[in-house]
Amino acid sequence: MKKVAIVGAGQSRYGEFPEKGIKELFFEAYSDMSKSVDKNFDPKAIEAAYIGNLGSGGFQLGNMSALVAEYVGLSYIPTMRIENACASGGYALVAAIMDVLSGTHKVALAGGVEKMTDVSGLKQKYWLGVSGDTEYERLAGTTFAGLYALIAHRHMHEFGTKREQLSMVAVKNHKNGAQNPKAQFQREITLEQAVKSPIVAYPLNLFDCCSTTDGASAVLVCDEEVAKKYTDTPIYVAGFGTSSDYLAIHDRVNTTTLEGTRKASERAYSMAGLGPNDIQAAEVHDCFTIAELLAYEDLGFCKKGEAGKFLEEGHTQIGGDKPVNASGGLKSKGHPIGSTGTGQAYEMFNQLRGTVQKPARQVKGAEIGLIHNVGGSGGTVEVTIMRR
Amino acid sequence: MAHVSIPMYWRTIPQRYSLVGYKCKKCGSVNFPPKGVCKYCSASSEFEEVKLSGRGKVHTFVLISAGGAPPEFAEQEKAGGQYPVAIVQLEEGPKVIGQIADINPKDVKIDMPVTTELRKIYTEEGVIRYGFKFVPAGK
Amino acid sequence: MAIGISGYGVYIPKLRIKKEDYAKAWGSFSAAGVSEKSVMGFDEDVLTAAAKVSRRALESVPIGPEKVTRFALASTTPPYVEKVLSGTVMVSVGIPNQTLSSDHTSSTRAGTEAMLSAFEHVQANPKGVALVAVADAPIASMWDSFEHALGAGAAAYVLSSENIVAELEGHASYASEYFGERFKPRDESLIHDLNVKKFSESSVITNTTKAGNALLKKLGRKPEEYQHVVIQQPDARVPTTVGSRMQFTEHQLAAGMTSKVLGDLGAASTPVSLAAALDDAKPGDRIMVISYGSGSGSDALSFKVVGDRKAAPRFQAEADQKEYIDYIKYLKLKGAIL
Repeated sequence: MKKVAIVGAGQSRYGEFPEKGIKELFFEAYSDMSKSVDKNFDPKAIEAAYIGNLGSGGFQLGNMSALVAEYVGLSYIPTMRIENACASGGYALVAAIMDVLSGTHKVALAGGVEKMTDVSGLKQKYWLGVSGDTEYERLAGTTFAGLYALIAHRHMHEFGTKREQLSMVAVKNHKNGAQNPKAQFQREITLEQAVKSPIVAYPLNLFDCCSTTDGASAVLVCDEEVAKKYTDTPIYVAGFGTSSDYLAIHDRVNTTTLEGTRKASERAYSMAGLGPNDIQAAEVHDCFTIAELLAYEDLGFCKKGEAGKFLEEGHTQIGGDKPVNASGGLKSKGHPIGSTGTGQAYEMFNQLRGTVQKPARQVKGAEIGLIHNVGGSGGTVEVTIMRR
Repeated sequence: MAHVSIPMYWRTIPQRYSLVGYKCKKCGSVNFPPKGVCKYCSASSEFEEVKLSGRGKVHTFVLISAGGAPPEFAEQEKAGGQYPVAIVQLEEGPKVIGQIADINPKDVKIDMPVTTELRKIYTEEGVIRYGFKFVPAGK
Repeated sequence: MAIGISGYGVYIPKLRIKKEDYAKAWGSFSAAGVSEKSVMGFDEDVLTAAAKVSRRALESVPIGPEKVTRFALASTTPPYVEKVLSGTVMVSVGIPNQTLSSDHTSSTRAGTEAMLSAFEHVQANPKGVALVAVADAPIASMWDSFEHALGAGAAAYVLSSENIVAELEGHASYASEYFGERFKPRDESLIHDLNVKKFSESSVITNTTKAGNALLKKLGRKPEEYQHVVIQQPDARVPTTVGSRMQFTEHQLAAGMTSKVLGDLGAASTPVSLAAALDDAKPGDRIMVISYGSGSGSDALSFKVVGDRKAAPRFQAEADQKEYIDYIKYLKLKGAIL
């Protein structure tokens, strides 16, 4: 089978930027990507663009991929907006990979962008709620915090997962994010702060939740044949997998498992001929702290029900045997919905090439990395395994 | 926008007002809310309507506080404080999500028995949306 | 053919506010003889309460909702001024769509109005089964002292010619022209009252006693032949005033004095109080019910208790199940803080 390589990756700063819209944010990511390409970068070589985006507050729902592409100078190429809620970016990456794999194009751009802070608090909740099961889950009075809290509570009930263990995810990711100059929150927090923050949806509190973020990212995907033209150190796509699940949690057989993550990762591992033990660094979807614990289990890093212990033992710290979210994760880096998946690819591209901005969060010697992007409460999931 | 239109809400009245479930004619499992194809056997789309008892047990729950409520429910949270939302395992098999009313949030427990009642869910565009909520059983 | 009450049910929302909390907020409490009153929760209204008592009444017989051939709903506080209201309850309870329904909403007499129109159906259709649901939670401006009395409650009755617990012996009505007392102008959702005290009192006394005495005369009865008497309760004093004019004693009124702990239940005042009296009554007892609606009119109904089947839960159990709220919470629930 054809091999696909990633030869460039860029990301805008994540945060709140009143002076920037989706066009400007995407341009910042695209420029950053173009600078990351070691040699011979040529916009004319980009034959197609796949853009992850949930809807940017609803102001440009239609044809937004054409808009951001032409703004960065990519005119008259096939463009497509990919929407799978918070996994939009991950699916945009997979779309670009499949495009190159199919032989249709040699060089494709995968990107994502979201502008989340332009709308009023009320409208923000209105459009963020669009990705769950609207008829039942939303009309029972829940937002995503509530849905992940339902999962967290059952996880605590079944496996004895502790409130402190949820907070430890936040503490770890803030510690990593403090070393990420592009993160939204570049500061550490204490366990006490995290445990005692105000309740949003018991058992989840404010520090269990990621924030709303403006940001964009872009990844240059190409056929292995042409990769060496752009860099001597391409990162290869070893495998990828995606899966859907029942949208509403009450429809799922198991409340404490994201079956989408299990299926997507099984497919990615199988394609790569690798297993969870081979993963040396991972960027997982920690929209809420419980989501990172679920990811440890459902990606096979530890047994079902043992994620809390696995975290407490330090395995997922930088320096541990399975460092997770060295970027700070969604929790500290920010979660500009459509950008999150390709943003994870940007981080892993740099981790595997040893080029993260600050050495403190460089996972030393990592050659195989996994990225994991979840839509909503698990209705869609993308996993990609990358290797040097 | 996550807006549930009047006709969209109306189409779910059998579920919301009177808990009509859909028993698969092939495998006998009860689908609630309804599916096009039975989610248990994936082999039939013929169903018999059955009235569910509304009785069940709390499988998991959350207490929604300020900031955790969707805008349709913000006023409820402000007027009444924290409100519980649960996934309930119904006697007939299916699990379904809904609020628990008539209980101090502190007293909600996993596995507690509940039953259903018609309540106001929320009001939008001047129209009251009624539907089932769970209440503690055995009162 | 004997017709009467075959089953009944009562529901009192569990929230209560004490007169002391009003006194703390306003300096005084204006509802005579009322010590506390019931309040509906945020997610309740008269339709959800009507659905709840309808189920209870049907279960008390017991009879399935599919057997109901006539449905009558009454309340002075419907959530919509224009819209068929009974449909919400019918669909929720499972009453056939083909069943004739009616909504009675224009005065606190609506409860007995609904009962009598349902009785007419049973009278005309010996195999008919009528269900009457009355729920109310009247609302007035927090600035008006008559707001203090307004409570919340619901009762439902299954009326038929079978399995009778209390037989309808007869009824009489009286309607007349009064104004200025308890009314809602066209564009208002809150009750107004011009507080012309003696004039209003004369309306209450005239209509209730005319209807009540007409019924006594029709049945050839004396007041003392009734073990229980239920009179409309805008507060806990009015029934005593009316009762003494008609030579009813405090003892006869006692079982149905729901206003002391629930306040003014509006259209549900006499239906809920009748349920309390039925809980207390023995076979052979007679019960007189006299409603009142401003503007004005009264219905009087006479029942003879012929069975000792009681509905669950009992009125007293409903009255005893309570959770107190303070005045701020009360204002929030009533939507009075704008």
